[in-house]
Amino acid sequence: MADRVILTIGTRKGVFVAEAAKARRSFALRGPFGPGVPVYATLVDTRGTPRLYASSCNPFFGMKVLRSTNLGKSFQETKAAPAFPSDDGRALANIWSLEPGDGKKELWCGVEPAALFRSHDAGDSWEMVPGISNHEHARQWQPGNGGLCLHTIIRDGSRVHLGISTGGHYLSEDGGGTFRASNQGVGAGFQPDPYPEFGQCVHKIARHDDAPGRLYMQNHGGWAEWTGPGGPRPDIGVLRSDDYGRSWRSIAKGLPSDFGFPIVVHPHDADTAYVMPLEPSTRTCPGGAPAVWRSENGGESWSRLARGLPKKQTYFTVLRDAMDVDRLKVPALYFGTTTGQLWIGRDGGEKWDCLFDSLPPIHNVKVAVV
Amino acid sequence: MGAPAVTLHVLGSLRTYCGGAAQLPLSAPTVRAALDELERNQSALYRNICDETGAVRRHLNVFVNADNVRDLDGIDTRLTPGDVVTILPAVSGG
Repeated sequence: MADRVILTIGTRKGVFVAEAAKARRSFALRGPFGPGVPVYATLVDTRGTPRLYASSCNPFFGMKVLRSTNLGKSFQETKAAPAFPSDDGRALANIWSLEPGDGKKELWCGVEPAALFRSHDAGDSWEMVPGISNHEHARQWQPGNGGLCLHTIIRDGSRVHLGISTGGHYLSEDGGGTFRASNQGVGAGFQPDPYPEFGQCVHKIARHDDAPGRLYMQNHGGWAEWTGPGGPRPDIGVLRSDDYGRSWRSIAKGLPSDFGFPIVVHPHDADTAYVMPLEPSTRTCPGGAPAVWRSENGGESWSRLARGLPKKQTYFTVLRDAMDVDRLKVPALYFGTTTGQLWIGRDGGEKWDCLFDSLPPIHNVKVAVV
Repeated sequence: MGAPAVTLHVLGSLRTYCGGAAQLPLSAPTVRAALDELERNQSALYRNICDETGAVRRHLNVFVNADNVRDLDGIDTRLTPGDVVTILPAVSGG
């Protein structure tokens, strides 16, 4: 069977699935599934027979996990969703991340309030991961505007990187048994001490499979004009680590804004990363003209990719999980907007086309070739 | 004397979690006891109504006949034979 590109699109009103041949000329749209219910996390799981997953975060009736075994022609609820132990005192408010684990059926899931769960049976049962969920810092984390969410899970052998807003970056080197805050160089502009041990508002972390020591972070920037204690903080928004996340340094120079939500790494080049700078105060496109910015040298310099994107009067936001890149030889980027547009950046983001222009507000875009 | 026989009216979107039933007969002296019975016998439906702490989900209202239990004794509101318990989502938009 020919390779197909599958997009999962989590929106405020359910999950959609878009499918194309690998030429990616046009995409067929299916859905919404879980209609009317916000979806913040999706996963195209390519281990074995592909499965699609979506969180279904119903503010009335609680959290569900949806699963499709037919590439998104239909979804069913799994037998259970993550839930805190009854004596824990916390109640699940949202599901923010779904990532594959070991084997063909293990899943990892980040939730709000920030905690981590793991399933060994493709989402039919879940266990809380206590090393981070009951971490001594956990009750001190504070919610950001989007809630207190564990939104990033990156696994690399025995290392596990987590991104928590607002908790910061946490690193495990024993497969998720224990975690420690690992935020050296990660700033927190919204408090007097800009470099605390933990409590940073990390927006997203990304890395390349072949360069596990190199990580990129979109942190909560936008403090270049700060005039309070400690003075301006122009360099805390876009960061890089070269030591497995033990320390971080700014790579924001050259960007129009160091505020943004997603950060994505090219599938075949660990030096190439993409961000979507936003105006810090409005969290919309700078000057009303959206652009993805690309670095091809690990963040030393950046170039603007906007061919095909609107040139004016455009004020959407692209949220933390709403940008992804496929793994074809010449990859395409995808981002979804809070105004319900899904864009494709062909040739690695050189040329942009709007695939769908009237979806519900988009929270999440994931892509895989199956 | 046993607990009063009451009826739980099930919202249409939740009937998939209780075998399609529109109404469930319960025997419970209070709303809390009715929820406890649901937890024992209709766990999937219960999870939609109460979170893992046992609290009724924040955006749901529980009525006994025409009265919201928040205007009575909350989930400790007593039930009498023939009462109808209805659980509805709070009004919202967007």
